[in-house]
Amino acid sequence: MEGSMKLEIKPLWDEVERVREESASFLTSKGLEKDAVFSLSMVVGELVENSIKYGKQGDEKALVGISLDVSGGLVTVEVTNLVDDTAYAHLARLDRTIQWIRGFQDPFEAYVERMKEVARRQMEDKESGLGLVRIAYEGRAILDFFLDESEILNVSAVLNLE
Amino acid sequence: MYEQSPPIDAQLVAGDQLIPVDTRLTSRYSLMVRFLNGNGFKDGAEFTDLLIRNQGKEIGLGPCRLICEPNIDGYAGRIVFLKEVYDLKRLVEENKVVRLQSSFLNVPLVLAHKKRVKREFKNYTSDLTYDLNVYKSLFDKLDEEYAEEAQSIRDSIQMAIINTEGVRFHRFLDDRLAELERMVKGFNRAEHESHGFYFRRQLWEIILTAPFMRRTNLKPRGYAGDSEMMSMIYENGYRGKSTFAKLMHKHPVGHPGAQAVRNRRKVIREMIRGVGDQRNPSGADPLKILSVACGPACEVQDIVQTAQDPGKYDFTLLDQDRNALQEAANGIDRVQRRLDGQVKVKYLNESVRTMLKTPNLPGKWGRFDFVYSMGLFDYLTPPVAAGVLGKLLKLLRPGGELVIGNFHVSNVSRYYMEYWLDWVLYYRTESDLKELLRGAPGDDVSVFFDETGVQMFLHVKRHESH
Ligand SMILES: Nc1ncnc2c1ncn2[C@@H]1O[C@H](COP(=O)(O)OP(=O)(O)OP(=O)(O)O)[C@@H](O)[C@H]1O
Ligand SMILES: C[S@@+](CC[C@H](N)C(=O)[O-])C[C@H]1O[C@@H](n2cnc3c(N)ncnc32)[C@H](O)[C@@H]1O
Ligand SMILES: [Mg+2]
Repeated sequence: MEGSMKLEIKPLWDEVERVREESASFLTSKGLEKDAVFSLSMVVGELVENSIKYGKQGDEKALVGISLDVSGGLVTVEVTNLVDDTAYAHLARLDRTIQWIRGFQDPFEAYVERMKEVARRQMEDKESGLGLVRIAYEGRAILDFFLDESEILNVSAVLNLE
Repeated sequence: MYEQSPPIDAQLVAGDQLIPVDTRLTSRYSLMVRFLNGNGFKDGAEFTDLLIRNQGKEIGLGPCRLICEPNIDGYAGRIVFLKEVYDLKRLVEENKVVRLQSSFLNVPLVLAHKKRVKREFKNYTSDLTYDLNVYKSLFDKLDEEYAEEAQSIRDSIQMAIINTEGVRFHRFLDDRLAELERMVKGFNRAEHESHGFYFRRQLWEIILTAPFMRRTNLKPRGYAGDSEMMSMIYENGYRGKSTFAKLMHKHPVGHPGAQAVRNRRKVIREMIRGVGDQRNPSGADPLKILSVACGPACEVQDIVQTAQDPGKYDFTLLDQDRNALQEAANGIDRVQRRLDGQVKVKYLNESVRTMLKTPNLPGKWGRFDFVYSMGLFDYLTPPVAAGVLGKLLKLLRPGGELVIGNFHVSNVSRYYMEYWLDWVLYYRTESDLKELLRGAPGDDVSVFFDETGVQMFLHVKRHESH
């Protein structure tokens, strides 16, 4: 079944769970299998978390947009956020990370590589650098992004339902 | 480079004693140490921990030992680590704690990954590895036989081998590839991925011998399809240290997927020349051309051939990679010297993923008679590809033309690229490609192919009245 869904949320951590749940019920209603629903809600969660973490801060009007689309055997997840100067600094890393992950035929390789770095002893911080890798490996989705004229970053993940 | 590394604030721990020290990186895995407060220790002294302060955080690097090396700038010697070995360079520069041994944490995971691989595929890979090693040792033995000859003799002997046994060896590779294709054709994406991973682990040594395969697998610039790989494809020759390496290098660059890349270069050349003759027969008003993701931009060298040509064109070349632009510039430089003329070229070091943000691009870059992008859309997913395409269309003058290349789903080199080269593209059908236009009205749209049928082109001609 085809269809799409759009949401807008304030960039607050408490919203992530709600978005994940709404995405899951939307995808279930479109007839996706349980595994796909589960991994795609993870994908949505990771992208939304990134938007909250790296998107424009301290602006009431800076909302995070979520759109899910099921059509032509593809599921497309797009998450948007406004970008400010601090976020710009992250874009180069986002670009590098996405090209690096997509440089492996098997995202498992990216996952294994990243796990080495995550195996850290004392320095725990919120940037474990695993989110995008999980989207590719566990979520089986292809990542991409672009920045549009209104300074809105659009990070997307595309899953082929096969 | 370690000479310039800044001092690091640290303390050594011996029992319950804290010893203040001044340390500095001396290599990726060791530190130079200078004892403060008049402390002194003998060569071989061991410490239970080294605490270092980096970007506001304290990190314990574990048991270590002093190796005395006097006379280095007042430093007592080096500290080496006895249990955990950390990448100190990344620690200091990137604030990342990477343990040398940590890859072993993944051993169970990686070992288990082979369980997903089908028995038949394992047999295939194992036979292939055996056969390739047989060929390799034979070719290597021959190389040894004539190693004492003069260079020119060696070269001609090698060519003779390539033209005889080499041809048969390439046929053997063709057959094995056909078998691979038969075996994996029905796989879903997850199966392709895990089988490809297994395949490359088994054939890794062979892969590394061939410069082209080595580069596509290692991706030294962080992405597939860099300008050096493109140059190897355009060269389509024999590179490598041995006859075997040369043969392994040549085979993929001679395959239809690579031929399609060479063909599209010609297609673009012809189209641009055609548009030039049509729109600008006198050559008075230079044709404005934009290449998006230009890579080495070899086609520009093909277009500018005669002494009159430089004045006919005005190129803008965009790429995310400075090295690619440099290579393009070097090539164009050679043309300029040959023709003793100046080619008008503007270089833009930008990613298409972020160029979309630039408001009023046409105002900034001007409008173009011809915009083309080869080898880029194969990496863009639909939301991004559609966004980029929309933006490029806005850069066309009325009557201007846009050509986008994309590998077709039927690429006969697909499994070769994915399994051997670790090179995955976003393949499209004709309708996938047209759909990216999202119904942009007022233009003539068509799709055509190169001779191999592998390279597909989307052609959009903006109406004169736009
Ligand atoms: N929405 C975004 N805006 C700007 N930069 C981003 C965005 N999403 C990711 N990035 C950049 O890409 C990097 C990798 O993202 P990823 O989700 O893989 O890791 P992380 O968020 O740092 O850690 P984790 O997801 O494991 O908590 C980030 O560290 C950040 O620099
Ligand atoms: C496969 S090569 C093609 C080069 C050239 N067009 C040709 O056909 O020879 C791909 C090129 O695209 C560039 N590229 C990849 N992604 C890009 C992006 N997002 N923005 C700009 N350039 C990009 C790479 O740096 C590389 O030079
Ligand atoms: Mg994240």
